[in-house]
Amino acid sequence: MSTPTRPSLDDPALSIPVEHAGIFDAIPLARTERQQEFYALRDGEMLLNMGPQHPSTHGVLRVILKINGEQVTDLDPVLGYLHRGVEKLCENADYHQVISQVDPLEYISSLFNEWGAVLSFEKLLDLEVPRRAEYIRVLSAELNRVASHMLYMGWFALDLGGITPILWSFAERDEIMEMLAALTGQKLLFNYFRIGGVNGDLNHEFMSRLGDWMSRAGAQLEAGMSLLNENEIFVRRARGLGVIDRETAFRMCVTGPNLRASGIPFDLRRAHPYSVYPELDFDVPTRSEGDSLARYLLRMDEVRQSIRIIDQCLHQMPDGPVSARLPRLLRPRPGRAFSAVEAPRGQYSTYVISDGTDQPFRMRIHDPSFLHLQLMGLLMPGNLLPDTMAIMASLDPVMGGVDK
Amino acid sequence: MDRALKTLLERKLGTSMEGPVRLRQDQAEIRIRPGDLPQVMRTLHDEPELRFEYLADLCGVDTGTTFQVVYHLWSDVTPDWLRVIVDGIPREEPRLPSLTFLWKGAEWMEREAYDMFGLVFEGNRDLRRIYLPDDFVSFPLRKDFHLADDVARSPGGGVRPMERAGAPKDADETTLRRTSPGA
Repeated sequence: MSTPTRPSLDDPALSIPVEHAGIFDAIPLARTERQQEFYALRDGEMLLNMGPQHPSTHGVLRVILKINGEQVTDLDPVLGYLHRGVEKLCENADYHQVISQVDPLEYISSLFNEWGAVLSFEKLLDLEVPRRAEYIRVLSAELNRVASHMLYMGWFALDLGGITPILWSFAERDEIMEMLAALTGQKLLFNYFRIGGVNGDLNHEFMSRLGDWMSRAGAQLEAGMSLLNENEIFVRRARGLGVIDRETAFRMCVTGPNLRASGIPFDLRRAHPYSVYPELDFDVPTRSEGDSLARYLLRMDEVRQSIRIIDQCLHQMPDGPVSARLPRLLRPRPGRAFSAVEAPRGQYSTYVISDGTDQPFRMRIHDPSFLHLQLMGLLMPGNLLPDTMAIMASLDPVMGGVDK
Repeated sequence: MDRALKTLLERKLGTSMEGPVRLRQDQAEIRIRPGDLPQVMRTLHDEPELRFEYLADLCGVDTGTTFQVVYHLWSDVTPDWLRVIVDGIPREEPRLPSLTFLWKGAEWMEREAYDMFGLVFEGNRDLRRIYLPDDFVSFPLRKDFHLADDVARSPGGGVRPMERAGAPKDADETTLRRTSPGA
């Protein structure tokens, strides 16, 4: 028996095969029609790599920009740096465990991830959710929406060079997060919704904090907005930037505030009502301009509506149980269910197939940020390099949801 | 359940559908063959009585024997979701037409379905991997792709290979085995 020797670099077994060499090169082998078009540089053009670690990519996103001087002519986003294979993990978890698996997807608004999942499971099981549980769900989810939009305000301003708004909005967001922590026990990934209800009833700390916050939320919001809405640098920069028209919005499957900023009053809470939203009185704000400023202002309008909804929930909160009684192991009848909720970023939907066992046969998770990020390729060409991040921030993608 | 939608779909699509329109809760479901996909979708999208202009979701499904691609559509004429299942895509040659001519936004969703199932959408001009690296060889959401954790459910298994690798060399075999599979 011969003793093992140190491997030699000349060993053909260790060299990188030619067909795989492409992935280590700056310019990969062009495989698709689109790649051939993208990597063919015309006179004066160059490629610029941005990311995956870049402060304004809102997560871990790499974008290859094709620039001509200061102008972006094309771009190719590279995803997958946060890919965790959640859909596969869900297929290998039982129905209750799925809730904690989907939690970290859109980590800014975790309650909506949970809601999408439990809503589709309740459809599979033909389950009636107690009304108090539905009201608590709406209450906590709308709080989460306010927190998410407040963070958006700070983020967007930060990407345009303003530091103060993010400090102000974090103060608001932190108060809401403390509130939800008192309710759910966690500060970021709440793991609060359960199939057939929620994990716990409203408690004293949550209610006292909420009452405190509600008494000043409106004024606080106006104060925060006055910081940006009357700032000429911000308004002039955001106006007319990255315009989405109605046709493009439908063609690119845009949803949520980005769609409503283009003048289409499509809100799933009204267009395809779920939970107790039909009983609540609120407006669906729209704006017709479709630019970055409209997307920002629309989200601020939504915060006002959310505060209205929270107020109504507090006044109409019925008594009763907060969860349906269910066995530990759920085995829904074979079938399929699709459900969608209006998350702060748009339509968040789940499609689940049951084969009669305690684990989902297939669990599809659809995240709005994924499609909004795709829109980047349409909006950015023609804009200046510093504006690309402003447009991206105005679309509000969260990479945790994009990469799944 | 929207019964008017059922008769409308039966009138407009006719023989393109395989089997009846199924209604359950707030969802209507039809099944079609891969070849009919562009024509059916164009009818659903363009017909003024249907107006399914909004593509809510596109995903692949591995049934174990064949592949499906499932589309969810929304229209203002009905309170229901419309689910279009493209059924019977063979495992050996999973090809079907792309929908990017109607919804440009389907491009990335089709890329994702390609990445996860190896479904080839003909007409998609950027069909390459989206999440996984370019040199990844298998398609992870196929049913014949097992997670490393699946060992835990196999009889006699019980410990993830990585845990076993990290265990002390002189560990007793029984400490490396869980009492019941899948526990």
